[in-house]
Amino acid sequence: MCDFLYRRTGMVFTEAKRYYVDRRVVDRMLATGAASFTSYFARLRSDLQNEVEQFINAFTINETYFYREDHHLRCLTSDLLAERIRTKKPGEAIRIWSAPCSTGEEPYSIAIWLLENWALADSYDIEIVGSDIDTSALEAAREGTFGRRALMRLTPELIEKYFEPVGPERWRIAESLRQSILLTSVNIVDSTQTRAYGKFDVIFCRNVLIYFDDTSRRIVAENLYESLSPGGYICLGHSESMSRISPLFEVCRFADAIVYRRPRDGGHG
Amino acid sequence: MAEQKRRVLVVDDASLVRLYYRTVLEDGGFEVDEALNGIEALEKLTVSPVDLLIIDINMPQMDGLTFLASLRRREPPLSSIPALVSSTESRQEDFAAARRAGANFYLTKPVSRETLVEFSSLLSGGSPPSGKSG
Repeated sequence: MCDFLYRRTGMVFTEAKRYYVDRRVVDRMLATGAASFTSYFARLRSDLQNEVEQFINAFTINETYFYREDHHLRCLTSDLLAERIRTKKPGEAIRIWSAPCSTGEEPYSIAIWLLENWALADSYDIEIVGSDIDTSALEAAREGTFGRRALMRLTPELIEKYFEPVGPERWRIAESLRQSILLTSVNIVDSTQTRAYGKFDVIFCRNVLIYFDDTSRRIVAENLYESLSPGGYICLGHSESMSRISPLFEVCRFADAIVYRRPRDGGHG
Repeated sequence: MAEQKRRVLVVDDASLVRLYYRTVLEDGGFEVDEALNGIEALEKLTVSPVDLLIIDINMPQMDGLTFLASLRRREPPLSSIPALVSSTESRQEDFAAARRAGANFYLTKPVSRETLVEFSSLLSGGSPPSGKSG
């Protein structure tokens, strides 16, 4: 089963995570009415009624909140964008990719942060793309409804400004904000999928590589490298380090964060 | 009667730029509508005129100055809506071109929040009392 998951998603579940795997398999067996593990596995292998997608969705981890690890957002507006706009011709868009974006907190956070904190917000066309392999997370991102926990780091003023209350303890992100972000399904381990979205200036790829093994990590690193413009930046989660994964990137230390850069000349090796 | 909010139409092809104008102007007490280009702006204006236009110059399909010039050739009140043109271009010939097209004011990006609200108030307040009577 873990082998099957690995081949489909690149995620590794070792014996230590056995309980986690078991629980989700049991969940899916109950949901599909499978009488036994064998019959469930047969259903999965033949992808009956999209079971593979459902199964992957059950295994991806969607816990996040707005303004999580905001030192990267500070770094974005204080250093990274200033650096990137020097390479831009007039009218050329700045492109930011949130991968994986889970239920949307990260790409929406980036947009809100830029609108609130970037003095040049009116001067550049910014494209924000959020992608995830988990289609039900994407569906939730498009819906854009959040509970108090997801909004805990936002001030009441920001919530008032960018959300509308839609029920007890539920808020929906403003329509205009939802429309300004492209949300799309991408498996970052698959280079034919990542290539389709062109070159980005900054990629947020936080707290996902920890779930991959060395091989998948290297593949993801190479895919992200190809998806960056020369001189473009990648932000990883606080416990992740690109140096241990791939020699392709330069380490950049800014006041707020350590990020990784695709070298400007584009050369490597 | 309670004072009516002044209405602004923001014409810009970049969605986050429109959103930036929207949030700043709504904070400043305006009601904001958006258009992606000159054609969409003309369509919206024929349905409901506004008190102020904020127009970007570089846009696909119909650029800001072509749009403004064609608006100025129409009948009032459409032709007389105050227009604030904003652009990253800061050369003298750009100012002159905007003036020829019929801009009431030209701001070079980046425009600070305060400046945007201040000039929007000035320009929309100075508009002739059109609206309901027309």
